[in-house]
Amino acid sequence: MSESSHHEVAAYALGVLDDGDVEAFERHLDACERCRQELKTMSELPGLLDGVKSSSERAN
Amino acid sequence: MLRQVRQTTGNDLQWAEDVVQETLLRAWRNAAKLTWERSLLWAWLLTVSRRIVIDGRRRRGVRPREVEPPEADSIAVPDDADKTLAAIVVADALRGLSADHREVIEQTYLRDRTVNEAAVILGIPPGTVKSRLYYALRSLRGVLKERGVAS
Repeated sequence: MSESSHHEVAAYALGVLDDGDVEAFERHLDACERCRQELKTMSELPGLLDGVKSSSERAN
Repeated sequence: MLRQVRQTTGNDLQWAEDVVQETLLRAWRNAAKLTWERSLLWAWLLTVSRRIVIDGRRRRGVRPREVEPPEADSIAVPDDADKTLAAIVVADALRGLSADHREVIEQTYLRDRTVNEAAVILGIPPGTVKSRLYYALRSLRGVLKERGVAS
């Protein structure tokens, strides 16, 4: 596995990975302990970013 | 889960309920993942629900109108002080990232765009968007952890 396949974990955690890439990344995830750990540590970030998004929506 | 999804749907409860239902349905179809450890399973369910919300936003044509991280003093009066405080810290942390890193977060998650869509807009290869997002999230998390907002 090249280094770049591990990088997809961030886009995956944010839910912005394109449909065609999701399935392949999930197969990678099944076998990659490093990405599983990173997914867990990254999984609270989208919720935190939602706070920024909704305050900017309210501010308009 | 409903609480988490509600944040993503901008507090639209009806929509959030539909998203949770669809998420659980997809989980049911992916029964192999249900053997994953609890925290990983939770992370996975959240990625599924987020994709459903982003797809739904796109179909409805509803997008956040303003996506620049707001100035701290422009943030609306809190109905929930903790959440607002966290939003201020997150907005500040975003401004502290390198321009490249901030840009990929803004052009993807904050604008409900996928990696490929953002790549076209930014005029860079999708792989570059993915790598920048990876390092951007790592440094964002580092800063937020330091400031006691992320665990």
